[in-house]
Order: sequence, then C-alpha cells, then structure tokens
Amino acid sequence: MTALIIPAVFIAVFVFAAFKKVKIYDEFSKGVGEAVKFTVSLLPCLAAIFMMCAIFEASRLSAMLVNLLSPVFGALGIPKELTKLVLIKPFSGSGSLAYLNEIIAAHGADSYISRCACVCFGSSETVFYISAVYFANLKMKKLFKPIAAVLIATLVSTVFACLLCRIM
Amino acid sequence: MNAIFTVILISSLIALTFVAPAELLPALLGGAEDAAAMALTLFCIYAVWMGLSNLAEKSGFSKGAARLLKPLTKKIFKTENDEACENIAMNMSCNLLGIGGAATPFAVKAINELEKDKNEFAQKLLFVINATSIQLLPSTVIALRASAGSAAAFDIFLPSLICTAISTFCGVVLFLVLEKLKPRRKKPINKAYTGVKLKFKGHGSK
Repeated sequence: MTALIIPAVFIAVFVFAAFKKVKIYDEFSKGVGEAVKFTVSLLPCLAAIFMMCAIFEASRLSAMLVNLLSPVFGALGIPKELTKLVLIKPFSGSGSLAYLNEIIAAHGADSYISRCACVCFGSSETVFYISAVYFANLKMKKLFKPIAAVLIATLVSTVFACLLCRIM
Repeated sequence: MNAIFTVILISSLIALTFVAPAELLPALLGGAEDAAAMALTLFCIYAVWMGLSNLAEKSGFSKGAARLLKPLTKKIFKTENDEACENIAMNMSCNLLGIGGAATPFAVKAINELEKDKNEFAQKLLFVINATSIQLLPSTVIALRASAGSAAAFDIFLPSLICTAISTFCGVVLFLVLEKLKPRRKKPINKAYTGVKLKFKGHGSK
C-alpha cells in the first residue's frame, strides 16, 4: 500500500501541472536548480558537524559516554544494547542505521532488543542534522531551548518505546 | 550550536591527543569525506523532491492542498504569511505520508519565508515538530525488518505510532514551557500558549 503513495503523488502533481499548462520541463529543472543551491549551502555545516562526530568517535569519548550512560539508561528501562543507538541517532542518520542493522543481525529481527531498536529508530529524528539544515541560512542561532526540548522528548519516547515493546 | 560544537570538539581533541594522536587527521578527513558523500546523497533526494515541489507550487497544486490546512497552520504558527502556511502544510503532509525527503525542502522554504516576518516562534516550533518525528508509517524500519527475515515486520507499527505521538507532544509542550519561562515575571504555566507571543529582544546575536 505504501509503495503506491509515491507514484500517486507524482502522477497527481504532473497531471495537474500539465492540465494547468505549466511548462513542466522548465519548472522541474528550475526546482532541481534550487536543490543544487540548497545542497551547496548545506555543505559547510555538514562538513563541520561530520568532522566533529568523527573525532568524537576516534577520541574514544563516545565509547566512554556510552559506558557512562548505560546504567542511567538502564534505570529508565532502556536496554544497554540500545544506549549507543540512542546516543548516535541525534547526530547521524546513516551511522545509526548502520548500527541498527548490526543490532538486528546480532539479536534476530523478532527479538525484544531488535523490535525496541526499530521503534526507537523509527520514532526519532536526526536532531542536530535537522537543526543545521533548517537554520543554515539564518542569522538566528539561539537554538538551545528548542534542541533541549526535542532531545528530552526523544528520551521520553525512547523510554516509552522500550516499555511498549515489552507489552505489545 | 556554537557552544555544543566547541565543547565536543575541544574535549575530543584533548582526549585524542592522549589516546591516539596519529588518528586526528585521518578522522577529520574521513568526516569531511562523509559530509561530501552525504551532500551527494542529499542532492539526489532534493533534486527529485524540489523539482516536484516546484511543479506543485507553479501549478497551484500545493495552494489547493494547503488551503485545507490553512486555518489550522495559521492558528498554530501564529502567522498571516500565506506562502509560509502553504509550505508548512506541504511539509506536514509529506511527513505524515512518510516521505521525509520531500518534507525537508518545504520546511526550509517555510522557515526562510517566516524569516521575513521575523517570526522566530513559528520557525522554532516547526523545527521542534519536525525534529521529534511525526511520521505515520516507519517504512524504512519495516523494510529493514522484513529483509532481516522478521515473521511480523509490521508489528512495530502501533508502538511506533504511539511513540512518535508522544515525542511530538512532549517536544511541543516542553518547547512552549521553555519559551514561556523567558519573560521577566514568571506566570503560571497552565496558559502556556497565550504567553508565547513574547518579543525576542536581543536574541539576534550568535
């Protein structure tokens, strides 16, 4: 069913545009042109954040943080196998996806840990990446409160995810 | 962001100097390389969706879709900016349909549009809603489980739905409370919503 959503959206938009006599080729290319500009405007922020993540990982500080927070997360009902996933997700979508794959491979697709990991992964977002992308071209940089709100909310939903997977 | 970046970077640098100084440069280069690869992936996603969204915009398709949601977006985001409302409405629709790649360009357009009115509240709120994830169907994860041989790949649907609702709800409430705590005098939080129109004086600094 979900496979049909995307073609349906494309057909609806293209047919509607043709109906309205929009120059489809010109306007589509113009949109792609915007995508070029947009991607280039993101590159500095992306590069800086990715470099930060890379040396954070290389310095073993991330591993230390995982070890440090495992008991805290454990007290909240989050299994220790998930600590790393929960910590990586806000920074890196691809990194956490790779780690999610590892978890599924190690524990089996239908295990509690895997289901839990999947729900956590599916119901959270790459917060820092989104904040970089959304506010890349703005002067406003006072993002501490919104980011804090999002991170706390994500932690709450993670706790619920671990709880729900036990009973559902 | 500057503070977070500085703290993580400096502490990592110091730790790295003790643990493995030779790994610094390769790590930085690797990070930059990942960023370049990521940018390429993102460009591909945006090329498809921004091409489509430009068509939707020029043909008036998104205007029609947005009209249904406009009363709601106007009220929630406290904006009279039609263009912004339209983009917000499209962003929400894409999110709910689970097309995250398409949602981002609309959000960015909306945020740039809101910048013209200096509507920081709406910008931040849109960020909070998007960053707490509001998708109805976690299609990536379901596909991943199915390919790993799960017997019931869909059984995480309901917990996921509940969790994403919880995170968005918590995020918005927390955000409103935090914004509310800013004014000089503290007022009871129960009417959090009315007080949020506060002026963001002197917040323009880095």
